[in-house]
Amino acid sequence: MSDPTFGAESAFRAADLVRKSSLPGPWDIYGEKIERYEVHFNGNVREMVRAPVLLEGVGLRVIRPFEQKLGVGFAATTDASAASMAKAVEDAEATARYSRFPAAGAQLPSDPPHAEAVDSVDRAAWAAPLDSVEAYVHALLTAFEGRSGIVPSFGSVHLTLAEATLANSAGLAHHASRTTVDLEVAVKAFGGAEGRPPGEYWVTSRSVRLDPRGLPELVDAWCQRAKDVRIAKAPSAGDQTVVLPPRVLTDILPEILSYRLSGSAELRGIAPKPGEMIGAPTISIWDDGRFPYALGTSAVDDEGNPQSKRPLVTNGAAHATLYDVLHASAAGRTSTGSGLREALAYPSWEHFSSPPHPVATTMVLSTGDVGSDAELAEVAGEGIWVDQLGYAFPDPLSAAFGGEIRIGYRIHHGKIAEPLRGGTVGGVVVSGQGEKSLLNSLLAAGKHPELTAHLSCPTLVVGQMSVGGAD
Amino acid sequence: MASLRDAEDFLAHALSRIAPHTSYAEVMAERSVGHTLRIDKSQTSVGVEPRMEGAVFRAWGGHGWREAASSGLDAASLTRCAEALVRHLPAESKSIPPPGVSATGDAERKTDSKRPLESFGVEERLALARDLYTIALSPGGIDNAFVTFGSSAEERLFLSTAGARRWQLIDRTRGTVVPLAMENGKVEYDYLSFGAMGGWEVLDELTEARILETAHEAKLLLQAGSAPTGAMTVLLDPQTAGTFAHESFGHGTEADQLLRDRSYLKPLLGQMVGPEFLTLVDDGSYPGGWGSIYFDDEGHPAQRTVLVDHGRFVEALHDRESAAAFHRSATGNTRRADFLSRPFVRMTNTFVEPGDWSLEELLEEAKNGIFLQTCMSGIEDPLGGQMQIKVKKARLIHNGELGAIGPSMALSGKVLDFLKGIKGIGKADVFSIGPGYCGKGHTDLIPAGTGGSYLLSEALVGPA
Repeated sequence: MSDPTFGAESAFRAADLVRKSSLPGPWDIYGEKIERYEVHFNGNVREMVRAPVLLEGVGLRVIRPFEQKLGVGFAATTDASAASMAKAVEDAEATARYSRFPAAGAQLPSDPPHAEAVDSVDRAAWAAPLDSVEAYVHALLTAFEGRSGIVPSFGSVHLTLAEATLANSAGLAHHASRTTVDLEVAVKAFGGAEGRPPGEYWVTSRSVRLDPRGLPELVDAWCQRAKDVRIAKAPSAGDQTVVLPPRVLTDILPEILSYRLSGSAELRGIAPKPGEMIGAPTISIWDDGRFPYALGTSAVDDEGNPQSKRPLVTNGAAHATLYDVLHASAAGRTSTGSGLREALAYPSWEHFSSPPHPVATTMVLSTGDVGSDAELAEVAGEGIWVDQLGYAFPDPLSAAFGGEIRIGYRIHHGKIAEPLRGGTVGGVVVSGQGEKSLLNSLLAAGKHPELTAHLSCPTLVVGQMSVGGAD
Repeated sequence: MASLRDAEDFLAHALSRIAPHTSYAEVMAERSVGHTLRIDKSQTSVGVEPRMEGAVFRAWGGHGWREAASSGLDAASLTRCAEALVRHLPAESKSIPPPGVSATGDAERKTDSKRPLESFGVEERLALARDLYTIALSPGGIDNAFVTFGSSAEERLFLSTAGARRWQLIDRTRGTVVPLAMENGKVEYDYLSFGAMGGWEVLDELTEARILETAHEAKLLLQAGSAPTGAMTVLLDPQTAGTFAHESFGHGTEADQLLRDRSYLKPLLGQMVGPEFLTLVDDGSYPGGWGSIYFDDEGHPAQRTVLVDHGRFVEALHDRESAAAFHRSATGNTRRADFLSRPFVRMTNTFVEPGDWSLEELLEEAKNGIFLQTCMSGIEDPLGGQMQIKVKKARLIHNGELGAIGPSMALSGKVLDFLKGIKGIGKADVFSIGPGYCGKGHTDLIPAGTGGSYLLSEALVGPA
């Protein structure tokens, strides 16, 4: 089944203009036409409805040889008229004259890409976007009805439909569509005789489907956490065993590992060498660009190279590196289909405004053999089950992370006990020789993986992580 | 198109298509251009910022706002966008007036840069970047350094059915130097950054002495031990104090959160929240501030708003809607990240007013604790009133003396406890406004300045 389309074909139209100008290759153009629909609410009140928000734009990259290196120029614009494209060509050529990338050549893929189609589009949302958002918001707010002392104090649902087109000087002409759903809900627990201050559980998520199934169960869990916030106390300080579920790890691992295991880090001597142990022998990690209904899933990457499942860490040892066309050329390798225009940190909803760079799509961690949450707590013995960090502050350069515990639970005598809030937990994901890290201090992993944004992984039990809390 | 003013007739015409269907409508058109430059040992990237342009229409729908936006500024695109908005307007849009006071009148403002963006060619920028890169590597033991310059010119035109017209053109420039030290697979760095409203003169702040100190600190960080943890006396450097003012306190003063009953500060309006020597300010009119604007995205002029006056929480930041609800005036803080984003009440430049303590006096007062330096980021907790701020480095304070450097750390705890625990604020000679980007949550990033002087209090610290 072919992807839904707006029929804009922005890159194809821009490429026709560029070809008529006789622009020499290599060049590529990435175009998007995007429609966005948003509903913002405060309790049951619709604060704002935004429909539609329309954006069309193209990004042009030119690659020029200069003194055994490449000059890579880039220009992006929301105006794809002939005059504006002429200006884009001028800007891209001008920046290419001064930019230098340490590779001798670049091989852009030609049409057609030899990749099997992969379906990751929410077709129902494409068929009736605003109605779909309204129905989702209705289902979400309905799940809060009948609860005493609980309201969704603020929230929004954003549906982004994007038609992406890609053309290049080698003859490639590719079309793909993507759906992105951003959800934000602040769940407030308040009231009661005890006079405690209100508590909030603040949820943000990004996915590719507007699917209201499972919302009642999710809302139940969110409400319980908002209530627990009201009675939570700060954890004790010191090195402790920490349990990290996928919704916490998704803010830590993809951003740090995507950079550390990329051609960009390799170019700067920051990436681990193949075979170097960077994690416990029980850990294996893949990047899967064809993971079903995940962010970043597509038949080809944003340069037109086929997506695949790429082993990055095998039994704790660094295995392979993520390459786009340019970084592959610099390393004397071929692209791994990892040339994407999306940033994992602060992702923007348009991609045409950035040139491609090597980045992970969906990072997949191997599962372990521990079944339930209760069994994971039993493995931990004493420690903290971290449910949510305020922000994990992942730092790709130093590989450090750490954030405040917004809600967590003490693990005592192998059982999940009273709620905790405040204090910080942190460390490094990968470390220098001999130093402890999240990946090499793994005690156990759950059996059941969960997909959250750019990560599919089980809950991890990590030993001796540093916790800043009350004395 | 040389200026958004060239599209003004189209914008006004499209707005006139909405006017018959609502009691109030407005349009904000935006056009941005800019330059980027980044060098390190392996790569030189010279770029132009995406040329983004478009317009967003907003109309009062009787019980809430309705918006539609488009990246096209031609007559046909704007008309289609306006008509799409009209289709979603409820019947009561015309009969119920919008909350608050609409801006009126006509005004234009633009940044007066000493060295405008267009006056500084690529060769000059590259030569400066290479000089700074060479300085960063000169101490030895530094393996690489990222030198980054960015500049933007952001033009906005606001028109409303109440007769307001606002045009503004804001230049911002930022420069960053990040020296990297590496050893046995461990990577560390320190961070030096300046940014302000203005042209290339902003980069003059990246002095040789500052870069050398940053490089030296990067090397020391490689040898840093583990972070201390627990409750202790903390001394914040000026940027960290500013981030506290913004993230931990300022977000709770954004009155859209008060309207949602989503601020721990709402019941404290009018009450003492800190010592008498504490004054916190948001000032969108601060000369040259990174977060300065001339007008907000409802057409109101930027202004100085004292949030905490000598320890008392006296004012919140208002858009027209919250101002009406709380019987206040709009404070010029309604900001959109861009024409694609909705408006929220947002901060501009938020800072702690300087006090009268020297650094030596603060260290002596602290006696034992930790000095937190080089703020990297922070995040708000508007209802819960917890704080979370990350710094790149820290130094133990022992018997009033600064000790060895420590690694990146996070500051946490209750904001109100921190405020009540403030023992001293540094002098004005180290006051500065630094550049940052603020999200409402994790999205809608806007330039926001943060600043202050040294700040001494108590908090929880831990690794980050």
